[in-house]
Amino acid sequence: MNPIITNSTNEPAVILRSVAKRFGSVQAVRELDLEVARGALVGLLGPNGAGKSTAIRMIMSLIRQDSGELRVLGGDALDAKDRIGYLPEERGLYRRMRVGEFLIYLGRLKGLPRQGLSSRVESWLERIELPGVFRSRCQELSKGMQQKVQFIGAVLHEPDLIVLDEPFSGLDPVNARILISTVQDLHRQGRTIFLSTHQMAQAEQLCERVVLINRGEKILDSTTREVTQRFSPRAVEIEPLAGIHAARSALEAIPGIESVKAAEDGRTAVLLVNERTDPHAVMSLALAAVPCRRIEIARVSLDDVFVRLVTEHGGHARQPVRGAA
Amino acid sequence: MIDKKNSGGFRFSRIMTIAIREFRHTVLTKGFIFGAILFPLVMFVVIGVMPFLLSNDQVPVRGTIVVADSDGSVAQAIEIAFARYQTKIQTGIGSSTAALSDALAKSQRGDVAALDALSDITTTVEVTVRRMSIDDDLAGIRDQVQSGELLALVEVPATLLESDPPADADVSLLVPSNSPAKTTALFARIARQATVVARVQRTGTDLAKAMALVREPQAQTARLTSTGTKAKENLELRFMIPGGFMMLMWIAAFTSANQLLTTTIEEKSSKVIEVLLSATSPLELLAGKILGQGFVSLLMLSTYGAAGIAGLAFLTMLDIVPLSSLILFFLWFLLAYFMVASIMAAVGSAVSDLREAQSLVQPAMIVMMIPLLLWLPISENPTGWLATITSFVPPIGPFVMVLRTTGAVEPIPFWQIGLALAVNGFSTIALVWIASRVFRIGVLMQGKPPTPMELLRWARAR
Repeated sequence: MNPIITNSTNEPAVILRSVAKRFGSVQAVRELDLEVARGALVGLLGPNGAGKSTAIRMIMSLIRQDSGELRVLGGDALDAKDRIGYLPEERGLYRRMRVGEFLIYLGRLKGLPRQGLSSRVESWLERIELPGVFRSRCQELSKGMQQKVQFIGAVLHEPDLIVLDEPFSGLDPVNARILISTVQDLHRQGRTIFLSTHQMAQAEQLCERVVLINRGEKILDSTTREVTQRFSPRAVEIEPLAGIHAARSALEAIPGIESVKAAEDGRTAVLLVNERTDPHAVMSLALAAVPCRRIEIARVSLDDVFVRLVTEHGGHARQPVRGAA
Repeated sequence: MIDKKNSGGFRFSRIMTIAIREFRHTVLTKGFIFGAILFPLVMFVVIGVMPFLLSNDQVPVRGTIVVADSDGSVAQAIEIAFARYQTKIQTGIGSSTAALSDALAKSQRGDVAALDALSDITTTVEVTVRRMSIDDDLAGIRDQVQSGELLALVEVPATLLESDPPADADVSLLVPSNSPAKTTALFARIARQATVVARVQRTGTDLAKAMALVREPQAQTARLTSTGTKAKENLELRFMIPGGFMMLMWIAAFTSANQLLTTTIEEKSSKVIEVLLSATSPLELLAGKILGQGFVSLLMLSTYGAAGIAGLAFLTMLDIVPLSSLILFFLWFLLAYFMVASIMAAVGSAVSDLREAQSLVQPAMIVMMIPLLLWLPISENPTGWLATITSFVPPIGPFVMVLRTTGAVEPIPFWQIGLALAVNGFSTIALVWIASRVFRIGVLMQGKPPTPMELLRWARAR
């Protein structure tokens, strides 16, 4: 695959400023500010119906925002269709068309020359572990295979910006891993990747930055590392050899520990550390005070952050609205 | 790599890519290949071959028929006719009309020359006539007919021959249930004609003279062409041709436009539309689809049109459809197709399934049925007020103009053709524009179908 041609401008690949969209009585997206730097891999997270797909469709110029400014690759997405790859949330194929023919058709629409297109399609099918389906009809493929074919349709033309709406939903772990690996390869080549998902584990594994929206509103926009640090529980997990009851008094005596929360099994506990103390220092003191089977700094997962923030911001999003695009 | 400078905007190559896919995936289906290509070809071949098939389909006629009449005159006339036919076959006179007439004129009873039921028979006919009286008991004879021992029983009521004037009665003809239709028809015809011969003979009138007096002469019609030469005339065909052209245009336009409706709905329901719209603009997609189905429509027009033109050439009547009419027909077809296709594409984009489409398409279909209803009145008077006014009413104008330009005896005024082209052309552009506005919003809408007022709002939306 060819490396991307870097644009001379330093303008981010995607810019949304105060973008809003309403469908009838439902405010799908409200005052959304967002920037995706060129070459970045950014995840748009949110519960079902949070407004992720609406935001993506506006970025793709499939629907127009009611207000606000939106720029993609330095202009309107309509003017840069051949430089954008898009995998929509609602997958679609021509059921009776052959896989190779369908992908060649998409490639032609994206401006690829006819010459060499067939071998390019074959090569992508091999790469994504779909060998031998070139002449199969789309309807003969399993749902997961169809999704991979559509993924190829989104990246076949080697776009600068790749927008993936829930790319891993419905895939089994093996196929999800293949797609994740391919997305990482594309990112390493310098392509900008913007994907939406509600699967936090995959976002955590893939994205260098995450944007969380709920009820059409942005509630978090930060790098993955910053998120885990910011939402770190300032805690140390410990499993003393003698059991937690025997070790409790020694642990409570360590300076900087606010409390010791024992687990129900009586073997492990979480040491909550006050804000003035470094958890790593507490870990060293605990090791010296109590012989341990295991001791580590407690980590926060994106899943925890997601649940916490969504709960803080009024719970789950509205139900999907019939009639809305 | 992609040419970055030309990556966006309205690109003709994209439109052609979409059009070619539409065309291929419509034409390369069994239904289309059979319906639009093989069917007219087969019809054309069948029409050409049918006369030969029919002429070879005559089975030999061998056996006995019984003729029961009051005085034997009908039986005698039939007997002589069959005997003369045998003479003709045996002496090798042949079947040319002149030779047959000559043979009949030389026969001992020339007045039977009027009995021509056997003149176009080419198969073997070896029939013996058994005479009986109408007063005889015919029950046994009927049984023999039923069992197939006899070819037929002809019963001629006495009142048909003896009354003055002859009674309004019928000859009775009984045949076995498995009698070939052509043989039965031959016996019926020969029985009727023999009855007339016998009846005239009873009056002592010269039959040949009487028949000559009442014979209606044929009107040998010919058309004087623009070069002054005489051309063959076929009044029925001339009446059918405008309707044929209009129907051809109607079928070609609606078949493709309907296909456009179906494929748009399929693309929406299969969710492939969003993938396509990430690669093209709605206007490019619409243009490509309309163009692709337009090619399909032209292919249909070509196959059916070529069959029709070949038929006219076969009848040496090509001159009744001048080249100028064909060129105008093509223009009217384009206008009609784009109008109908725009309506169908807009409806297809706005709904989620064919059932929902029906309620929106029906009003348009009612309007589009009007040309079919106007066929007869406009063909009879292509320059009348009805024809003139409806020429300027879109979307039926192009169909009316086809009826007029292919059927008019006197030329349609040039200003009417120009005005109809202008009005319908402007309407076509307006409809395509409205369809594109509806299409760009409709293709991404899900849920309940829009009302006509909502469609108008979409058309006006920014």
